[in-house]
Amino acid sequence: MPDFETFRLVLEGLVAGLGVTVLVALSSLAIGLALGFALSLVREFTRTRAAHFAIDAYVELLRNIPALTHLFILYFGLASLGLRLSSIAAAILGLGLIGAAVTCDIFRAGFRSLPKGQVEAGLAVGLTPRQTIISILAPQAMRIALPGLGNYAVQLVKDTSVVSAIAAPEIMFFARSMVTSSFQTTLIYATAAGLYLLLSLPLMQCVRVLEAHYGKLKG
Amino acid sequence: MTGFLQPYFEYGGEWWPLLAEAMLNTALLSVAGFFLSVVLGLALLLCQMSGSAVLRGFAALYVTTVRGVPLLAILFLLYFGLPGVGITFNAFTAAVLGLSLCFAAQVSELFRAGLKAIPKGQREAALAAGFTPAQCFTFVILPQVVRVILSPMIVTFVSLLKDSSLASLITVNELVLTGRAMATEYFLPLQIYIAVGLCYFMIGWPFSVLSRRLAAPAAR
Repeated sequence: MPDFETFRLVLEGLVAGLGVTVLVALSSLAIGLALGFALSLVREFTRTRAAHFAIDAYVELLRNIPALTHLFILYFGLASLGLRLSSIAAAILGLGLIGAAVTCDIFRAGFRSLPKGQVEAGLAVGLTPRQTIISILAPQAMRIALPGLGNYAVQLVKDTSVVSAIAAPEIMFFARSMVTSSFQTTLIYATAAGLYLLLSLPLMQCVRVLEAHYGKLKG
Repeated sequence: MTGFLQPYFEYGGEWWPLLAEAMLNTALLSVAGFFLSVVLGLALLLCQMSGSAVLRGFAALYVTTVRGVPLLAILFLLYFGLPGVGITFNAFTAAVLGLSLCFAAQVSELFRAGLKAIPKGQREAALAAGFTPAQCFTFVILPQVVRVILSPMIVTFVSLLKDSSLASLITVNELVLTGRAMATEYFLPLQIYIAVGLCYFMIGWPFSVLSRRLAAPAAR
């Protein structure tokens, strides 16, 4: 049975990766939200066939292929073309681009659930189509999208562990490298699991509150 | 562009058999993982619906823990961690077990939502018509639940398929690990990983399309 001192050392070693985990999660969340929202606007409110096709293809390709494969393409694949990304940059870019495909679908579902009368009312009171989208439709769609986005955020925190495979120095990366230098395998991975749990529990609680709140509004 | 595509013409004949075998392993891993997920998910559902507070508490704790811990941590614990306390799995078994421990929570939530979606009157009507409770569940409730959850179940299968790629990190010889070996051998990582990605797409995309088809009438 490992003693408390070993546990403290393990914890200290893992916390060293906490910063990168949070950095990767927050940055890719920002990219995912911004790009996904932009894509959903183009997909819902323009009529260019080519753009629709491109966005659909983008979403399908990113949502049906594992994150690990995308990360390898960005990190190892692009390097062979001479385009070298740092592991953290590749991690943020990869998870962000995948996130955009996920949030695009969530935002679109939000826009689609709005009654038609909202657009009609906006135009009837003299707003331009652009104003109607920005100040009437988008705020409502975002509210509806919130629980879905929350679930995405919870998933994203866990998915950051995958970027250890391209050597981004986050929690799981430190866990793996500590394992090779000590024999406390069970303790190290269990502590890492606990650390992720600590990160995602508050997020999960937020999602639960959001779901309860917006569930009530709908019903 | 032709320079980029060149290796596919040159090595396609050598790559395809390797990738096809790896695809088979990925498919096997995913199907086994999904099957066990459904079994464990139903067991979890029984715990959640049981009269015993201990079982319900266990189920709630289980779902929260599994939702908050990355699959990768669970896989590493099962494959590298458990031998430390004397339990050893081979890589494939550990991967199937890890995937299903994770996805059981999702499956049980889906079943729960599906059961909730069936109006109470269905059960009452069946019982009034003389069905035993077991018959009522099998012939009246279950078929309706399956119809409701079929589409989200397929979505769950596709996420499990994608997550099965993590098994490469515990040395299961599936698509990603095969791709890594090929990338070191041929030194063409971009072309090879794109090919690996397309292999996943070939398995997963038909299911994604199917799930949307199934969901469409319900949304209308």
